[in-house]
Amino acid sequence: MSFSTALAHHFLPETILALGVLALILIGAWRGTRAFGLVNELAAGLLGLAILALFFGQTSEASLFEGAFVDDAFARFVKVLTLVGSLVTVLMSRDYLQRAKLGNFEFPVLVVLSTIGMLLLVSADNLIALYLGIELMSLALYVAAAFDRDDARASEAGLKYFVLGALSSGMLLYGASLLYGFSGTISFDGIAKAITGAPPLGVIFGLVFVLAGLAFKMSAAPFHMWTPDVYEGAPTPVTAFFASAPKMAAVAITTRIVFTAFPGIVGQWQQIVIFLAIASMLLGSFAAIGQTSIKRLMAYSSIGHMGFALVGLAAGNEAGVRGVAIYLAIYLVMTLGAFAAILQMRVEGRPVEKISDLSGLSRNNGTAAFFLAMLMFSLAGVPPLAGFFAKYYVLLAAVDAGLYPLAIIGVLASAISAFYYLRVVKVIYFDEPAPAFDQSPLSLRAVLAVSTVFLLGFWLYPAPVVEAATAAAKSLF
Amino acid sequence: MVVDLTHYLVVSAIVFTLGVAGIILNRKNIIIILMSVELILLAVNINLVAFSASLGDLTGQVFALFILTVAAAEAAIGLAILVTYFRNRGTIAVEDINSLKG
Amino acid sequence: MIQAIVFLPLIGFLIAGLFGRRIGARASELVTTTLLFIAAGFSWIVFFDVALGHGHASAPVLANWFTSGKLSVDWALRVDSLTAVMLVVVNTVSALVHFYSIGYMHEDPSRPRFFAYLSLFTFAMLSLVTADNLVQMFFGWEGVGLASYLLIGFWYQKPSANAAAIKAFVVNRVGDFGFALGIFLVFQLTQSLSFEQVFAAVPGIAGHKIHVFGADFDALTLATFLLFIGAMGKSAQFLLHTWLPDAMEGPTPVSALIHAATMVTAGVFMVARLSPIFEYAPDTLAFVTLIGAITAFFAATIGLVQNDIKRVIAYSTCSQLGYMFVAEGVGAYSLGVFHLFTHAFFKALLFLGAGSVIHAMHHEQDMRNMGGLWNKIPFTFAMMTIGTLALTGVGIPGTELGFAGFFSKDAIIEAAFAAGEHRSVAYLAFISTVVAAGLTSFYSWRLVFMTFFGKAKESHADARAAHGHDDHTHADAHAHGHDDHAHDDHGHGHHAPHESPIVMLIPLAVLAVGAVAAGAVFMGDFAGHGYDEFWKGALYTGHDNHILHAMHEIPHWVSYAATVMMILGFLGAFFVYQLAPGTAQKIAHAFPRLYRFLLNKWYFDELYDAIFVRPAFALGRLLWKGGDGRIIDGLGPDGIAARVVDGARLAVKLQTGYVYHYAFAMLIGVAAVVTWFVAGGLR
Repeated sequence: MSFSTALAHHFLPETILALGVLALILIGAWRGTRAFGLVNELAAGLLGLAILALFFGQTSEASLFEGAFVDDAFARFVKVLTLVGSLVTVLMSRDYLQRAKLGNFEFPVLVVLSTIGMLLLVSADNLIALYLGIELMSLALYVAAAFDRDDARASEAGLKYFVLGALSSGMLLYGASLLYGFSGTISFDGIAKAITGAPPLGVIFGLVFVLAGLAFKMSAAPFHMWTPDVYEGAPTPVTAFFASAPKMAAVAITTRIVFTAFPGIVGQWQQIVIFLAIASMLLGSFAAIGQTSIKRLMAYSSIGHMGFALVGLAAGNEAGVRGVAIYLAIYLVMTLGAFAAILQMRVEGRPVEKISDLSGLSRNNGTAAFFLAMLMFSLAGVPPLAGFFAKYYVLLAAVDAGLYPLAIIGVLASAISAFYYLRVVKVIYFDEPAPAFDQSPLSLRAVLAVSTVFLLGFWLYPAPVVEAATAAAKSLF
Repeated sequence: MVVDLTHYLVVSAIVFTLGVAGIILNRKNIIIILMSVELILLAVNINLVAFSASLGDLTGQVFALFILTVAAAEAAIGLAILVTYFRNRGTIAVEDINSLKG
Repeated sequence: MIQAIVFLPLIGFLIAGLFGRRIGARASELVTTTLLFIAAGFSWIVFFDVALGHGHASAPVLANWFTSGKLSVDWALRVDSLTAVMLVVVNTVSALVHFYSIGYMHEDPSRPRFFAYLSLFTFAMLSLVTADNLVQMFFGWEGVGLASYLLIGFWYQKPSANAAAIKAFVVNRVGDFGFALGIFLVFQLTQSLSFEQVFAAVPGIAGHKIHVFGADFDALTLATFLLFIGAMGKSAQFLLHTWLPDAMEGPTPVSALIHAATMVTAGVFMVARLSPIFEYAPDTLAFVTLIGAITAFFAATIGLVQNDIKRVIAYSTCSQLGYMFVAEGVGAYSLGVFHLFTHAFFKALLFLGAGSVIHAMHHEQDMRNMGGLWNKIPFTFAMMTIGTLALTGVGIPGTELGFAGFFSKDAIIEAAFAAGEHRSVAYLAFISTVVAAGLTSFYSWRLVFMTFFGKAKESHADARAAHGHDDHTHADAHAHGHDDHAHDDHGHGHHAPHESPIVMLIPLAVLAVGAVAAGAVFMGDFAGHGYDEFWKGALYTGHDNHILHAMHEIPHWVSYAATVMMILGFLGAFFVYQLAPGTAQKIAHAFPRLYRFLLNKWYFDELYDAIFVRPAFALGRLLWKGGDGRIIDGLGPDGIAARVVDGARLAVKLQTGYVYHYAFAMLIGVAAVVTWFVAGGLR
């Protein structure tokens, strides 16, 4: 296989996005502020094209760029999720940004750039590729967080995210340098070959620092501190983006690195992952109680959900990875649906984000209220909604791996977190109505409806997701 | 005395700790945080180059070059965000940045 | 084709359910009814192709549903002769009921909801009968249950309708629990739930024992017994029958569709479908026979004294379902299904006819307030008479002349007698079904005489007289459950009775054709010479199961027994209600205890109330006041809740908003991970 055919077969989505985003920048530079609508649509088109390229592309496994980039079923599965997250974000953001006088073409460009970073990250197969992917993703996200330049809260969110992100990058790099030094190579496979038996202390520290850096990106406790503040401060479409696509990529690369670089010391990294999982689940379920901002609530909710995804990872086997993949898919749908609902919260032209603003939604807009209630039930993990199955698969893997304490803590955390999800439902259905929301654009209503239907109907036909996840998990072993 | 790998690693660890301490202890100016971040990256680069020399493998030095490049971009973005923050709030004291909490 | 049959009603449900308010009631009616008629047409094509023609049975897999370890379940639509029969029954009756409802429900404000539920029910029932594995069957099983509860409680403003829906729900839970346990056990035994694999594995595990609660049970007997518990719940058999009469709170077309022709026969269908398992469990079959026999007799006795026109027919349904189980219990599965088939026509006819009467009487359901209607609503009268002739099994023994019920019911009685050679419980079933045949005839003609003959309204005074005795009894309170939704402006019978609109009469006519002819036309195929060509192996009979031959070699008097009983029943009713009106009261006076025993339905409701409901309430109250109020609220929950809130406050307090605190937390995090790691973690 020549290099160019390998590129065409295994690097097509990245190529499409990379070339396309250059064109977008040119168009934006050419047409200035008027370019927003066009660039937004083109960006959506590019992301859609990339998804199609993945669906109709090669299904073989390949390694490109001297082993820096790997294309396998796992990468493709997560890439589809990532691209869907980015695509839906672009679709949902247009109306909000235009009303907020933020209709600048840079936003879709940033989303696409960040998405390229995520795709590279998901496929990274050595430490340099890992670092470059993470930075490409993060640099665009820093800017996106502070995208509303005239809003003090958004700037503060951007600044906090940047400072802590830089610190986490530093930790990741420090760990990477230790791993390189003690194994003599940067490729994941090479590290796996070099580390057998009892690892030297340098490797342990390297592993801890690398996982700390990655845990920051997926906002797992105790590296989550930025999440609530940034979610609250950033413009809501940006928050939706933060909560969806980057999480996919971060969990995916964590999964990949522990299984391809450290298969010889499963027992060691398992301890770290268990710690992160327990801390995240507990924090996610406790801290959200008493929140008044729906965006902050979603921040803690996503921390808790990342904890559950890590439960699957902690199982340390193929079933666990399958659980993680399924969890990511269902979490993505739930998050996008929830943010589609949050973006609809707009009274007399101004966005609102208090939970109390949802009061009595059932009487003002019964359909939206029902959809949002179903989303909350799914987030809480109430059967037979999809959120239940997401938890079921990871907890099952954990139990099969003998991690009973972890599974029990997971169930308890799930029960506690149900409290604040159900509180939202109670507010929607039983409180005195707050002022009605404005008519919302079709794209938001469509995303809300489609995601809810997915969650409601998942149990009827879970096979496509489960089978794809099974294939994805298999490709890592 | 012979300067071997261990010495480099100790220096690097000290620089890394200084960088982290700079982030945690500094309450005044955000610029200092940016400088601390650079210190951390410097520690990483020392590590990489030292390992590279000791292993006789060039990859570490290539890695260091990549880090330098990305760090420049990161610093540029950091300063840009800092400027927007300053325009909004008129201060860049670290202890004033807490309107988002809870 | 089969996909269209199953999913057209679903599409109808979605359209009427989601957009019903937007497109209006008329459009909802038209869409759902049209789709149902198309599905019904397709069903007949499938029936002619697969059952009567040479089409092959198939089970196209639509998609994998889920796979978990060894358990792999597909969505598949199984089409064989048994399914084809059920498709015809379900879709034909459903289409006619949709059509009929356009007329019957025309005053109701929430018609889109009604038609959406009807279509949802049809979809669920179709997915039940086309199931290719036990899980899909359970899906349809619960789906029809759901639709049934929704429709029983359709007039949710009426407390009695809500109570009836809850009762149906709770009683069915008992059965469903058994069914689910049965499914689990089947999987445990055969490591599969798909019919093909289960049926193939069953002969190999015949005679296996399993150890439960310190005793050994025959594995297949236990499994089939549990499955049959499910059938008892759904098909309202003795002990789990109490919900069916109360279900008459729903609109009458619902009673015709769900509580007569289709859903309640799901249990019969399930036993027939699982005949390859039941054949290996003779003890369970004996139990099936026993339950069927008891139900056939006991429900018929209650039917004798009920005064609500729908309740009479409801108990009749219960009783006829008992007949079907008797047939299956003695191994004549085809006869059970055949009776299911014919029963669907004439019982739907009777219910829809009763609906027409109720409609004519402005939603009066008490037969004591009716009378002399035959010349006011002649068409309905004719149709009801045909239904009654079919139900009572009028026909000439030894010939091919007779109404539908004559063929199927008499065949069951003969089969029960023939099976008595091997199993004494079948003799009991024979006796009880023969007696029940006489009772059936009596209460059916009683219904006709009370409703259509006598003097208009005059029976009102009689009713009062009869009323005097059983005042305040439980049953009577029910008997007054008038169908009075949204019709408050109508008095009870203050207007002259009027014939129903044509849209309600056409379905009656179509069903009447079936009630007359279904027996004679299909007898040979279902249970006669065409047996093998018709079923093509869809029903399984063991090697030593010769019941269908044995039933032809029985003494002649057996064949005549049912007919004689039927004539006696008719004469009895004729004497009591026509020749000597008032005899009924005299009999009631003569045997007050027996009368009240029957009127109160053998006191089953009171019994269950005393055994289950009140202790459950008492237990609930104990847990609530004592457990919840004193112990949990006193010690635990507020304590736990307070700790949770403390945790929340702590977590929030950590979130100070200062960047350096966050960075510090990350560093602490790294330190904590390393410490945890060194300490050995949680394992």
